[in-house]
Amino acid sequence: MALVSLQGVGKVFSGRTGAWEAVRDFSLDLAEGEFFCLLGTSGCGKTTVLNMVAGFDAPTAGSILLDGAPVAGPGADRGVVFQGHDSLYDWLTALDNIGFGLRLRGLGKAERRAKAEHFLRKVGLTGQGAKHPSELSGGMKQRIQIARALANDPRMLLMDEPFGALDAMTRAVLQGELSRIWAETKKTVLFITHDIEEACALATRIGVMRRGPGGTLKAIVPVDLPFPRERTSDAFMRVFRDVHGLIHDEIHGAH
Amino acid sequence: MALFMMRFTVRTERLTTIGGYIAGFALLFLIWHLAATYLVKSTLFPPPLPVLERGWMLIEDGILQEQIIASLKRIAQGFLLGSAIGIPIGLAIGSFKPVRWLLEPWTEFFRFIPAVAMITVSVIWFGIGEESKVFLIAYTTIFVVIISTAAGVGAVGRDKIRAAQCLGANRWQVFGLVALPATVPYILTGMRLAMSNAFVTIVAAELIASNDGLGKMLWDARLFMQIEDIFVALVALGMLGFATDRSFRFLIRAFAGRFNATV
Repeated sequence: MALVSLQGVGKVFSGRTGAWEAVRDFSLDLAEGEFFCLLGTSGCGKTTVLNMVAGFDAPTAGSILLDGAPVAGPGADRGVVFQGHDSLYDWLTALDNIGFGLRLRGLGKAERRAKAEHFLRKVGLTGQGAKHPSELSGGMKQRIQIARALANDPRMLLMDEPFGALDAMTRAVLQGELSRIWAETKKTVLFITHDIEEACALATRIGVMRRGPGGTLKAIVPVDLPFPRERTSDAFMRVFRDVHGLIHDEIHGAH
Repeated sequence: MALFMMRFTVRTERLTTIGGYIAGFALLFLIWHLAATYLVKSTLFPPPLPVLERGWMLIEDGILQEQIIASLKRIAQGFLLGSAIGIPIGLAIGSFKPVRWLLEPWTEFFRFIPAVAMITVSVIWFGIGEESKVFLIAYTTIFVVIISTAAGVGAVGRDKIRAAQCLGANRWQVFGLVALPATVPYILTGMRLAMSNAFVTIVAAELIASNDGLGKMLWDARLFMQIEDIFVALVALGMLGFATDRSFRFLIRAFAGRFNATV
């Protein structure tokens, strides 16, 4: 059975300027342990899909099941990594940010600390635990976010363009680290991006979305390349070309 | 090395700031001196030296301290009372829509009735003792603190709350562990603004109805035409306000600097 199952999901936002159909008839099954990249142009509704799986928004049509049970609001079984670093708590140290979920569950101080240290090491920030978010770079903040989500041991990770605001170099480094962490933890990941190369570097499957409004899945491309991925290899280039071909029409119709 | 340099820079910066303050005050007194001695040349505008001499005399007699302490005590009591009432109300208004609908007319109504206008009522209700002054200071504090606190709650980033929810936080945990700490800088800023209001209010209240305090000192000095005493009281007020605001800013930095890098 699929870990997550979206069945005919639709979302219509109604505002002062009228109704806006963000997502239409979106169906997808995510298997345990896969890294699924949802790729689409801006405004195609990919973030809306993630927000519905996270439970921040309720679908207006269809249903979303997690382990067979309908999603009703956000919960600790789905860890979210946000695009901006505004989700970190400025008044806590990096270590306390990572241990925040454990604190909510009432874990003791020593145990919390040990676990947080473990995940601080995992994201490559050993020795930076006492710093506050304002003292960390953009890339470090995203590492803290990833560690915070992992420390809570969720069933799956939802990542909303987590590297979108980073410079190209930092982004590539973090993509490599995320791949390594995913290989170690085997967490199911739903990763939102508009970057074709990023999707090809990370995903086991890529879902390409049709442009909005009323965005929906256009095609799913399996990526059967070994990790770590060699971005200059012919095989990688072939996948890149396939996906690029699929999204080309969407890009040129979107503006 | 880097840490040492940082400390060094912080220390030099602090020294420069203090040096700047001293130079600024010196300039103020110099201009005052020049204006009084060469421009105005009136007994109604004494130069700084006789004022300072008179101030020193009043300190030696223990009179000035007494007035200062009387005023400060009222400010402290009213300010703490007002903050203690204002912060929870502000939090409630910022957190719950029905509370906002219910209480916002109150805050928007009373905030336009200045504490000075409430002096008469307060004296009728509480007499000219401590209670009326503490009431007025609390009154002038409450609304600024409420509005600033409520605005702070409203400004908590959406992702901060969402992040807590998907880490498993319930409503109360979101409030206590996210919304409340994120609002602290706003609360402190509101309190700092309220403090300057409190100074305005205490002088006005003591001018009209009091047995001691800096306002009373001003009033008596006017009655007996002790022009130096008036200026002593004015200088004391300025100094006190300056010192209070600096200490408040220092406290905000010490306790809440990490809450917000821009404080």
